[in-house]
Amino acid sequence: MRLTAITAAFALTATAAFAADKTLDIGVSDALTGGGAVYGLPQANAVNLAAKEINASGGIKVGDDTYMLKVIAYDDKANPTEASNAVRKLIDRDGVKYILGFCCSGATGAVASFIENEDAVMLVGNAAERSITTREIPNLTRTRPPADYTGAAAGTFVAEKGHKRVAVLGALDVGFYASYVDAFEKELNKAGGEIVSREAFGLKDRDMSPQLTKIRGQDPDAILVVGYVEPAAFIYRQAVELGIDVPRYGFTSGSEEQFLRVATSEQMEGVWDLRPTELTLLSASENGKAYHANYSAEFGIAPSPSSPYAYDQTYALKDAIEAAGTVEDTQAVAVALRELSVPDEVVMQYLPVDEKMFDVNGQAYTSNGAFQWQSGNWVFIQDLPSDAAAYSAFLSTID
Amino acid sequence: MVEVIQQIINGVAIGGVYVLIALGLTTVFGILGIAHFAHGSVSMFGGYLTFFFVTGWGFSLLLAILVSLLVGMVLGVLIELLAYRPVRDANHINAFIVALGLTMMVEGLNLEFFGHEQVVIPTNLSRVFNIGGVTIPELRLYVIIAAALLVLAMTLFVEKTKTGQAIRAVAENRDAAILMGVNVNTIPLVVFAISTALGVCAGVMVGSLFAIAPGIGEGLVVKGFAVLILGGLGSIPGAVVGGLVLGITEALAAGFISSAYKDVIAFVVMISVLLFRPQGLMGKA
Amino acid sequence: MMTLNRTFIFYAVALVGFILLPQLIAVKYYLHLSVLALIWVIAAQGQNLIQGYTGYVSIVQAGFMGIGAYSTALMGIHSDMPVWLTITLAPFVTAFFALLTGYPSLRVKGHYFAIVTLAFNMVIFIVLMNFHELTQGEAGITGIPKPGAKDGLFNWRDRETYYYFVLIIAVLMTALAALIVRSRIGQTLIAIRQNEDLVGAIGIAAWKYKLFAFVISAMFGGLAGAIYAHYQSFINPEIFGVAQSLDAILAVIIGGSGTIAGPIIGAFFVVFLPEYLRFADSFRLILYGLVLVLATIFMPRGIVGVTTDLMAKWGRGKT
Repeated sequence: MRLTAITAAFALTATAAFAADKTLDIGVSDALTGGGAVYGLPQANAVNLAAKEINASGGIKVGDDTYMLKVIAYDDKANPTEASNAVRKLIDRDGVKYILGFCCSGATGAVASFIENEDAVMLVGNAAERSITTREIPNLTRTRPPADYTGAAAGTFVAEKGHKRVAVLGALDVGFYASYVDAFEKELNKAGGEIVSREAFGLKDRDMSPQLTKIRGQDPDAILVVGYVEPAAFIYRQAVELGIDVPRYGFTSGSEEQFLRVATSEQMEGVWDLRPTELTLLSASENGKAYHANYSAEFGIAPSPSSPYAYDQTYALKDAIEAAGTVEDTQAVAVALRELSVPDEVVMQYLPVDEKMFDVNGQAYTSNGAFQWQSGNWVFIQDLPSDAAAYSAFLSTID
Repeated sequence: MVEVIQQIINGVAIGGVYVLIALGLTTVFGILGIAHFAHGSVSMFGGYLTFFFVTGWGFSLLLAILVSLLVGMVLGVLIELLAYRPVRDANHINAFIVALGLTMMVEGLNLEFFGHEQVVIPTNLSRVFNIGGVTIPELRLYVIIAAALLVLAMTLFVEKTKTGQAIRAVAENRDAAILMGVNVNTIPLVVFAISTALGVCAGVMVGSLFAIAPGIGEGLVVKGFAVLILGGLGSIPGAVVGGLVLGITEALAAGFISSAYKDVIAFVVMISVLLFRPQGLMGKA
Repeated sequence: MMTLNRTFIFYAVALVGFILLPQLIAVKYYLHLSVLALIWVIAAQGQNLIQGYTGYVSIVQAGFMGIGAYSTALMGIHSDMPVWLTITLAPFVTAFFALLTGYPSLRVKGHYFAIVTLAFNMVIFIVLMNFHELTQGEAGITGIPKPGAKDGLFNWRDRETYYYFVLIIAVLMTALAALIVRSRIGQTLIAIRQNEDLVGAIGIAAWKYKLFAFVISAMFGGLAGAIYAHYQSFINPEIFGVAQSLDAILAVIIGGSGTIAGPIIGAFFVVFLPEYLRFADSFRLILYGLVLVLATIFMPRGIVGVTTDLMAKWGRGKT
């Protein structure tokens, strides 16, 4: 009973299938409530939006059949056990073979650990933990690049700015933030720079003055702030309060509004954010602008910057199914995904490797950008020097 | 040296918040024997309310705090009447499980009303004082002063007023207090009202100096109990010393040992006190 | 004698039910949930020993499950020990940590116990998150092997096989809990719950018994965690936090604290209830909290207590 309610809610937003057409159920496992919902709910919405668009433009064509997509979304609360349960339920009970969404690393890792043994294809979105695509799981692909791919680009950028001694303050207990810093350090070292200290903070810490006081004592050339927006905003503010006036770089992906809740625009002035380009209206392509408009019209709220990872998954899946010519044979579809060129409809700016959207690890790469806070807004300044092919080769060497 | 002094100043602000939380806990525990675990979440509810009155209804900060204090005191009284009183004569484990249930309820209500994203009570106080290289933001200074004033007020209340004396009498010897004519049905209500009011003040401080978000209240109440273990149960000086020691220990640990493990270090300090001075730093043996 | 028979029949029927369950379940997903519930039975039996019988709330059962889960996984990675051995050793690793926290908090003053255990659960969580070299932090440990060889007698990848494996362990652990409770030690524990001062007055060092109950309860938790790790093949710190420890407390209260059947019922309740009430986290918290408060006030002996009362009434009505 409970499921019908949820499915029905989503079915309403999708166009009703024509009687003659077949229906293809696709699943979404994502954080629809709880702390991860900032990332997960927009992803689930994005899949629904893409499914609706695909249905409206004639569905997925396999041989003589036309399939209309129906989305079944379950809430995994970004929790590993809940995510295992949700995916088990999709596969065992609902008979779903294609599962999308996956915003958060812990939950995604749990599902990735068993998906290889299932007759299913898993498409990962926003989860940034590197190990998800290091095991070359044949039926898994991911649209978001791992955090250290971005970290390396950021390290090169900061080194080019001439900074030698960088102090790091980050949510280092979170794997992908730590790997961002590791990759950053490698590039910085190459240019003769060094990380003079690595300070950590927890998810619920808001008083960073002890860590910042220590950093102030080390007199660095620049600081690098790596972590979720909510604590990061306090770091930027308290750094000013403690009189630290060196350049501040970060990897936080927060909106203007989120930062202004904590710090004044003056306290934020000049802060850099070095991250995947994702969706910002300033840097958006035509697809990006259309996505923003359609999403806003459909759900009455602007899409989150990372939500297109899930939107793009849906189109990649459509192209792969059509290329494989089957909805039944998940192995063929998984192979087709790896062979896919970047679909026309995607929103993110992918950097193909060997002209393919996903590399042999099933990993896609987007461009990375440098954004700077100027008079109350994040302004796109330039692309970061990202090397997708080199990173892809590196990723293949890790097990 | 500047760095050490700066770290101590850093620790005093959060320590002040710990002191207020611990004061509320220690009065409830000392007089009613209840480990009022929901105290942290209720305190955060007070902070959320203040945020709501300021941003939603446009109250001035002072008015918002006053109204939140009143609502908080009523809530405290209701909690005592509806949740704790029915299990007053049962095994004390029951009261603690009720406290856990209350915590979940209040956390859930906070989530439902105020959402997952952190809220910050706007104050417009952004000046920073710099004394010989040691910096202290204006807001932090006011929080420390306010905490000190509240401790003073609480001490005066307990020492000098009639109700305060009745509360102390119950804490020292419940049966004797009853014989002396103290009404043991109203005292718990007063205690909960005061304790929750102190909690609301702490919530406002956390909400303006830092932020209120899900789970922060639970984290704070654990710190509050750690303060009781450090300082010794049932005494105001114990709570003050314990709170400051914990706050400063955390700042020094984060600054000089390891920021990732600062809470672990605080835990080790707590266990050590339990092992070697179980009555607490200020408690009588 | 009458009640003993009735109890015996109850357990026999329950056992047959559990054995037949996989044949009755059409959708394998529910078998998966049943395996999780049986794992929770083990953890909840442990929780019940300290909470239900001894009368001390421990808020670290999920943390102990975490220690058990990580120790079996890490021993497997860093040595060639077979799975059955690491699973067996995991509870003893857990016991070591339980001694470290239980000794200072139980020896002196009982009322610090709950808080110290809670703080310890937080510490476990912080260490699991931050000690990357050992635990791989938030990313977690993947590819934890199933028991048994790949082409061995049993196919451990099959959930039915694992179900029966967990069922056997859960039955054994429940029997062990029952044995402990009926022993002299168990009677002392119950006496401590009822009147600790009296126990002390007749010259029994209550703290030793409390510590025993706590360590044993931790071992139950560690075993449950170890079995969980090999079932899911993946662990990360997320599921070993304070929230899950609260679930263990809830399982005991709902089922019936201080009864052997209680944790069984409570565990299934805690695992299956969220399936049937799919709603946002905030509502779940409010509902669970309300259930805890109301149950403690109005039915402190849980579902088992209510049922036995009803059955007693019904029995009297008939004769």
